[in-house]
Amino acid sequence: MGFFYISDDASADGWDDTDDIAMFVAGGDIDYDASPKLRECLADRIRAGARRLVVDLSKVTFIDSTAIGVLVGAVMRLHEEGGGTLAVVCAEENRRVMRIFEIAGVDSLIALHRSREEALLELTGAS
Amino acid sequence: MRATVEQAGLGARSELSLPALASELGRARAYAREATAAFGFDVERCEDVVCAFNEAVTNAIRHGRPDEHGRIRLSVLDDGERLTLAVRDYGTFAVPAEGTAPRSEGGRGFPLMTALMDTVELRVEPAGTTVRLSKARA
Repeated sequence: MGFFYISDDASADGWDDTDDIAMFVAGGDIDYDASPKLRECLADRIRAGARRLVVDLSKVTFIDSTAIGVLVGAVMRLHEEGGGTLAVVCAEENRRVMRIFEIAGVDSLIALHRSREEALLELTGAS
Repeated sequence: MRATVEQAGLGARSELSLPALASELGRARAYAREATAAFGFDVERCEDVVCAFNEAVTNAIRHGRPDEHGRIRLSVLDDGERLTLAVRDYGTFAVPAEGTAPRSEGGRGFPLMTALMDTVELRVEPAGTTVRLSKARA
């Protein structure tokens, strides 16, 4: 109950993070208890120079409004730092996370992709 | 601290008193999940209610005030046709119910609750604040 994890080391999945691109993989429940950890992770990498962030939420079992707020906050932080992009990945079968994103109506700020490959293609293609 | 009471003509009511801590949110969700499953909602409706309830409990923990023992009160009422979950704290701060700016970090809890439930009732009284979330069977 209340289990949450986030990693910004996706190298095990064949990813090579660059200074500019950071891939995060999160899982479990992201609620008001867990969202400070998410905020800290994103802020650390933005501080270190990452400007294109991908957050894979496919394994997230619960998401609340504070987590959405943290993601929006990261987008605002990127804007303050001179620009950047945050993309969220969510596998189509994860209907719960998809539903909360749809209701939250943040699609103008955060692009939602079905796979990490799709997200990265979009990010690197746009650069 | 938990109690379930069958009241004649009023349906089944259960109560749970919970420490007003972020680390207790998982327990609040488990309480709502159990109640919605017992009521007979399908998985999607169960999770809608759990999510809305989580927002209400989060607000009570963040903005409300616990009782003298550091607790807030959760309850579920099943009247057969409708499931009503309530969160009560002892403060009088009401989170604005109107919509939020898209770029704002906070303020999404209440809109989420109203999107997921049939009715959301917020009652602020001198003795405390109660949020009631209801969803009908069909």
